[in-house]
Amino acid sequence: MNTLEAFLLGVIATSSVTAGIFFLKFWKQTRDSLFLAFGLAFVVEGLNRCAVLFLTKANEGNPYVYGVRLLAFLLILGAILHKNYGKAA
Amino acid sequence: MESGTQRLQVALFIIEQIDSVPQLEALLLLFNSRPKTWSIETMAKSLYVRSDAAARILDTLLQRKLIAVHSHRPDVFYYASEDDYQNRLMEAVDAVYRKEVVRVSSLIHSKGSAGVRDFARAFRIKKDKG
Amino acid sequence: MMAGAVHIVGTLVALCCAILLLRGYARGRQRLLLWSGLCFFGLAISNALVFVDLIVFPTQIDLYLPRLATAAVSMLLLLYGLIWEGE
Repeated sequence: MNTLEAFLLGVIATSSVTAGIFFLKFWKQTRDSLFLAFGLAFVVEGLNRCAVLFLTKANEGNPYVYGVRLLAFLLILGAILHKNYGKAA
Repeated sequence: MESGTQRLQVALFIIEQIDSVPQLEALLLLFNSRPKTWSIETMAKSLYVRSDAAARILDTLLQRKLIAVHSHRPDVFYYASEDDYQNRLMEAVDAVYRKEVVRVSSLIHSKGSAGVRDFARAFRIKKDKG
Repeated sequence: MMAGAVHIVGTLVALCCAILLLRGYARGRQRLLLWSGLCFFGLAISNALVFVDLIVFPTQIDLYLPRLATAAVSMLLLLYGLIWEGE
């Protein structure tokens, strides 16, 4: 991995975690679980990006990294479905 | 003096329909001057906000059917409800707001900003009150 | 294969969010929805690029830099919107 790629990964990781914290703040204000889901998804994916520090072939990723990313997407998808079809909808 | 029930209805109305203090003031201005029509510019001046903010406020009130426009003059707005219940509710809102500006403002601001609420609302796909 | 599936799901979820948010922006014109909508659109592109890179053209091209760049720009747009929301 070269410097530019590492730099961009750092940007992504930091801004994801920061965005996640903003969403968690909105969750605290509004008690809307949609924001909890977005918050967790972004924080988790931001930390996930740091996993590259432990990988040899970063641009191919590995199953754990993709598994966590899938989890983040499913959190968001689940929140959208819950908002429309869940008990509180 | 408003009854307990009226105050509750006022609070519910504000929670459900009012996003910001300027929006509430716009609605009350239109209500108290009915059926006078207001343009975006005049409203912006009265509320001490920019024109685009006033436009957004009036659009939102229009979408929520709290105010109306004439079909041949869609750029001027007026308060138009014939509903007796709605009008009495507006009078109660006006009375409460005049006496308890700070509390009403706190209530509005406790809901989180309009952007945050619109974000959550955007994910409602099912057609309901949204 | 799992990589492919994850990023297809990711592209679709991100695209769905982008459409809903941009539609919401068209209605209420709250800036947060514009920037977050654009962010998710960019993330959809980023995920699609991962799929193309790893599954469609695994050996012919390396799209790692474009994948990262689109994701980075998208996240910065979102941050911009989050910081200024409420104005």
